[in-house]
Amino acid sequence: MMQRLGARAGANRRQGPGPGPGGTSRSDLSPRDAWLLRWRGHSLLLPRRSLLGLAWLLLGLMMVFIASLSIGSMPLAPQRVIAALFGSGDPLDIYLVRELRLGRLGAALASGAGFALSGCLLQTLTRNRLAMPDIIGINNGATAFAVASIVALPMSFAPPMLALVGAVTATALTFALAGGVGVRGYRFIIVGVGIGAVFGALTNLMLARTSIDAANAAFPWTVGSLNGSGAGAQTMLWIGLAVCLPLAMASTRGLSSLRFAEPVALGWGVRVARLRLFALALAVICAALAVAVAGPVGMIALIGPELARRLSSHRSVPVLNAALAGAILMALADLLGRTLLAPVEVPVGIVTALVGGPYLIWILLRGDSPRAL
Amino acid sequence: MSAATGSVRFTRGLGFSLLALGVALCASLALGAGDVTPLQVLRWALGDDDGNVGFVVTELRLPRSCVGIVVGAALGVAGNLLQTVTRNPLAEPDLLGVSAASTTAVVIAILLGASVTTLQVWVAVLGAMCGCALVLAAARLRGVGDDPIRLILAGAALKGVLTALVSLVLLVDQRSADEIRFWTIGALAGRGYGELLGVAAPLLLGVLLVAYLSRPLAALALGERVASGLGHRPRLTRWLTLLAVALLSGVAVALAGPIAFFGLVVPVLARALVGPDIRRTLPLCVLLGPAVLLAADVVARLLVRPSELPLGVVTAVIGAPVLVAVVRAHRLPRL
Repeated sequence: MMQRLGARAGANRRQGPGPGPGGTSRSDLSPRDAWLLRWRGHSLLLPRRSLLGLAWLLLGLMMVFIASLSIGSMPLAPQRVIAALFGSGDPLDIYLVRELRLGRLGAALASGAGFALSGCLLQTLTRNRLAMPDIIGINNGATAFAVASIVALPMSFAPPMLALVGAVTATALTFALAGGVGVRGYRFIIVGVGIGAVFGALTNLMLARTSIDAANAAFPWTVGSLNGSGAGAQTMLWIGLAVCLPLAMASTRGLSSLRFAEPVALGWGVRVARLRLFALALAVICAALAVAVAGPVGMIALIGPELARRLSSHRSVPVLNAALAGAILMALADLLGRTLLAPVEVPVGIVTALVGGPYLIWILLRGDSPRAL
Repeated sequence: MSAATGSVRFTRGLGFSLLALGVALCASLALGAGDVTPLQVLRWALGDDDGNVGFVVTELRLPRSCVGIVVGAALGVAGNLLQTVTRNPLAEPDLLGVSAASTTAVVIAILLGASVTTLQVWVAVLGAMCGCALVLAAARLRGVGDDPIRLILAGAALKGVLTALVSLVLLVDQRSADEIRFWTIGALAGRGYGELLGVAAPLLLGVLLVAYLSRPLAALALGERVASGLGHRPRLTRWLTLLAVALLSGVAVALAGPIAFFGLVVPVLARALVGPDIRRTLPLCVLLGPAVLLAADVVARLLVRPSELPLGVVTAVIGAPVLVAVVRAHRLPRL
């Protein structure tokens, strides 16, 4: 079960003479593809490639940010958007940008980041590039519970909380039935597919059983749309991200050791079982909160980390870059969905599925093995 | 099972399946969402004629059961064929996106102006054929065929894309939405002899193909070289199997819509009863498929009386544990 060392087989494997995670060799020599910072016996390795990727992603984020705020049913020039953002200019512009578009864009960015972060963690855990919350049933579990809260209870009782409960339930079931995430990553994935199908069926059932009004209210939850996102859910998602992202970044070192065989990671002093549970919990929280905002949007969790991996050093798990890439992709998809068939708005979940699905199939059917992370 | 030889086991399995089918059929006729009780049905069967009960049984429950039998047999056999030809114990028309392809084809046909008439069976079959071709092409790729998980994930992805496509059509074209909605959830309610007649031709063709294919497929299970040595042509066999799967799952979709996990459950049961030989599992699937489907349908009718569950919900709940069990087997069995 020894995995290949490279982040992705071949393509960006540069054999810099650097220390591996936890390695101690050549401490006096800074590796070619990274900057070494030293301060009184502490040292920090900054991989050049990841930082460059981060810069690109931030640039992209800025462009998407301005573009989403200016393009819409009433187009605005970018300079007017920027002026409106800072509170000057036409009051109508300010209302449009700050009250209408900014909230939606915020929802898109936050949920995209949540999905991508979740996907990145899950892919590292299962050592499979294709693991993502929508395939392994986390999204479906969250959706089922959220729909239940809309449909079954007369008042819609905190869908975000219930989405969290649903995601945790689905994951716990998958975890228990698959016998852990560890050695047999594929088992976890396939069991997740099954659990997801059951929750999907339950969602369909609830939608079929209720009145048409309740079904319509629950519709955004079934395809993934940014239309109905409530402010409360969005706040929770931002808080969740603010907690989970630093935690994930702090544990990158341990996470990157998960890519090796378990004995290797154990030998480096990583508490593998504990780390796995921790990362799984972070992934579930991020996915669930994102589902609570945007519904079960697929494929962001696949493409975001993939893009981030291309833009990052293979040394570590690109947690931050993945979150940024996910945010960009989600905002782009929402922009596409809003503008493509202009009077009709295509839900963002449909856009991502149509764009991301073929990409996923291409990855799967391409020559090299998808197992190697 | 050391005492029982293969043929004894097969006879036993056959007997068991027949019994199961009989029980399921009786249950399907006697139980329902309405308020005609089994006792009344029994009295009616013994000749105590009550117009109302007779109407419910012969006009509502019997046609529905017949449709269930056809759909169950078609899906069971299609699942078995697909598992054999891809050598993947998890292969299943719905999981691999074949049913979704079929549904999508129907939806596109409706969008282009077709109406709900006989045309759709062939459209559904055509869509299923496209899905099958994709699956087979994927399974033949180097590396994918040896890796059951990859094929399943590719199928899940294909299904996701097609579902999104259907949602898009539903969103854009409100007129079609009503006609299409039926095709996107699996159910037996409201289908009858008319629909059965409509699918008779592709069904017959599929059955003939399957009858011809059982021997070549059994040879193919021994490996490509052995099959060629025995005088079969593996490539031709594969394409014909694909055609048969497409015909059968197209029929099933045309009759009942996509039904999740069903093609997975039945072959697993059949193999548990008589072992892996496809010449034995095929007839068993023909009997077991309807039995399981009718049982699921009865559950769907009874669980939330007086209304009904969609059949797809019940089969998903039944099928997921089977999926888990297959994956949890010590190592993923290879076919």
